[in-house]
Amino acid sequence: MTGKKKISKGNIERLLNEWSQEFTVFVPSQENGVATLAKWGGGDTSFLAWYRNTITPAKANFFPPMEEMFSFRKDREGYHIELPPTDERKQLIFGIRPCDARALAILDMTFKDAYEDPYYLSKRNNTVLIGLGCLNPYDSCFCTSLGISPAESTDVDLMLTDIGDQFLIEEITQKGRELIATASGVEEATEADEGKAKEVKEASYKKVAKKIETEDIKEKLLPAFNNQDYWERAAAKCLSCGICTFLCPTCYCFDINDEMVKNQGERLRSWDSCAFPIYTKMPMENPRVEKWRRVRQRVYHKYEFYPMSFGVIACTGCGRCIRQCPVNWDITQALNGLPAKI
Amino acid sequence: MSYLPTKNRDVEQRLRDEAKSLLEQGRVDYVIGFEPGSLKFTTTPLITNNKDDVDHLVINPFIVNNLSVYLTEIKGRVGIIAKGCDSRSIISLIQDKQVVREDIVIMGIPCPGLIDLKKVERLVGKDRDELDNIIRDGDKVVITVDGQGKEYPITEVLYDNCLGCEFPTPQEYDVLLGEPAPLVTDLTASRQKIEMLEGMSQQQRWDFWKDEFSRCIRCYACRNICPACFCERCFVEESEPQWVLPVPRWQDNLIFQVVRNIHVAGRCTDCGECERACPMNIPLRSLARKTYDLVDELFHYKSGTDKEASPLMTAYEQAEAEDFIR
Repeated sequence: MTGKKKISKGNIERLLNEWSQEFTVFVPSQENGVATLAKWGGGDTSFLAWYRNTITPAKANFFPPMEEMFSFRKDREGYHIELPPTDERKQLIFGIRPCDARALAILDMTFKDAYEDPYYLSKRNNTVLIGLGCLNPYDSCFCTSLGISPAESTDVDLMLTDIGDQFLIEEITQKGRELIATASGVEEATEADEGKAKEVKEASYKKVAKKIETEDIKEKLLPAFNNQDYWERAAAKCLSCGICTFLCPTCYCFDINDEMVKNQGERLRSWDSCAFPIYTKMPMENPRVEKWRRVRQRVYHKYEFYPMSFGVIACTGCGRCIRQCPVNWDITQALNGLPAKI
Repeated sequence: MSYLPTKNRDVEQRLRDEAKSLLEQGRVDYVIGFEPGSLKFTTTPLITNNKDDVDHLVINPFIVNNLSVYLTEIKGRVGIIAKGCDSRSIISLIQDKQVVREDIVIMGIPCPGLIDLKKVERLVGKDRDELDNIIRDGDKVVITVDGQGKEYPITEVLYDNCLGCEFPTPQEYDVLLGEPAPLVTDLTASRQKIEMLEGMSQQQRWDFWKDEFSRCIRCYACRNICPACFCERCFVEESEPQWVLPVPRWQDNLIFQVVRNIHVAGRCTDCGECERACPMNIPLRSLARKTYDLVDELFHYKSGTDKEASPLMTAYEQAEAEDFIR
C-alpha cells in the first residue's frame, strides 16, 4: 500500500464519460491541425498517444481570447446594464501540463490576489484540474530552469503519471480526493508502480535540454535595463506580432471595446499585447514607441517586475513563445546573453 | 548540424565572403541574412552591422523568412539575402517607393524550394524535434528518424507555394550566389486547397471560412510578417472610423483578411509567409494565391517582376479586363 492510486489507460474513456455527467470536460484535441483543449465529445482518447502540449495554453479556459463583460441598452431612462449569463456547469480540464498549471497559480496572483476579477474567478473557482505529467518535452521547453519538473505538479487537483499501460494518480487536493473516491476503474497503486513513476519523472526532467541561468538573473537584469544597444540588437528581428504574448500561459493584458449598434451593444474584453505598437494608445500614448522598449518590456515584466510585485518569475518555461515565433525569437538567448553583472 | 549535402556548402562560404566585404568596404550599413535558429531545423533572421557575425550566415532548405519585411524598418544601406520570391517583394517595395534601389545590395540565392516541416511531420508521424536529420539532395529528401534514414521525393515536403513557384531565381540582384535554380514544381499539389475551395458552393465556402476564422486570435503575425503590408497604421487599428473591431470575432477576423488581401493584391508574391506564421493553422495562402492568380488573369500583372513598372493599382492598360465595369 502506497496510499496512491492508479488507473489503466483503457479505463480513461469510462472515467471521462463519468466526469462528463457532472462537468464540462476538456481534453487535448487536434482539430484543424491545431492542438487545443476542446470539449470532450466522448470516445476518442487518441490524444493519450500524440499529446505533448496545446498551442493555446489552458489560460484560455479562464481568460478567453474574447469575452463579453456586459451588454447595455440605452433608452429615455438611461443606460440599462445586463451581466452575461454565467456558466454554472463546472469544468474539468484533463491533461493540463505542470507548466500550464503553474501558470494558472501565477495568474491567480493578478486576477485573485491583487484584485478580484469576477470573469476569471467565476471560471477558476468552478474548475477541476487533472494534471498529466509530460514525458516528452519539446526542444523549446525550459521549465526545469523555473523550478518546474515536467512530470510533477502540486498546482492541480489530481496528478497523473504515465507508467506504461496505466497512470499513477496522486491526490493533491481535497477536491481531487473526492473526485477519485467515487470513480470507477481506480485501483490501489503498488510500490513497483510508484517506483516506475519516479523513474519516468526523473527521465523526463533530464530530457529538458534548454536552460536559462536564473541564479544571478536579478543582478544581471537591473543594470541591463538601460543598455539600449543590447536591447536594440536583441529586438532587431522581432516583428511586433502578438504570438508570444497571446500564447503565453502567464500573459494577461487585455483590451476593452464597446460594440454598439443603434442603442444597444456589448462591452467586450480581448487579449492585448505589449508587443503591439498601439498598445495603450486608447487611453493615452504607448510609452514604448520603439520596438526595443517593447521587447525589453516582455522580458522585464516576466523576470523583473512580476518578481518585484509577487515574488515569482512570471514564466514557466513552456517554450510556446519560442516554438511558435515566426522568426525564432528566443527569450532564453536574450536572458543568457545579458552582459555579466558588473 | 548542416542540412545540406557537402557539395552545396560553397555557396554559403561565398555568401559570407560577399557579406563581409560589403561591410568592410562600407558599401552597406547592415547585412540581413539567416543564421542557425535555436530549435532543430530552424533558421532565424540575422540583422547585423558587425562583420564578425556574417560567419554565422547559412543557406539551407529552412531559410523560410522573407527578409524584405525588414527593409522598410532599417535605416541605412542594407545588404540583403533574397530568394526568388523575396527579390520580387523587394522589387515591389521599390515600385511602391518604400525603399530605394541604390540603398540595397541584393545577394540573390537561386531557390529550389523550402521544406515545410508540417508536411514532414505528417509524412513521418513525428514532431520536428523528434527527427534526427532532414537532408535534401536535388529532387530527393532523406529524413532520418531513430537512426533510420528514408528517402522521399522532394515534392512531398516542399511548401505549397514553393510547388507553385514561377521564379525560383531572383528577378533582381547585385550578385547571384549559385547556379540558377531549376523549377521544382507540382502545380496540382500547389493548388490542391484552392481547387477544393473553388469546387465549393458559395454557402459552403462561407461556412468554411467562418470556421477557419473562428480560430483566429488576431495576433497579426500574418500582417506583420508580410513585406507587402507596409502601412504605418493598419485599417484595423483605426478607431475613427472603426472599420472592424480589434477583438477576434470571426466576422471581424474575416473582414480583416479580406481587406488585407485586397490591399496586397499586386504586391503579394506568394512567398507563403502569412500562412506559415499563423499559429492557428488558417490556410491564408489559399486566399493570397487566389488573389495573385486573379491579378494575373484580370490585369496580366505579376507582382515584383519589373521595378520600372507602375504599381498595379496606379496604372491602367487597355488590355486589362474590364468586363466588371458595366
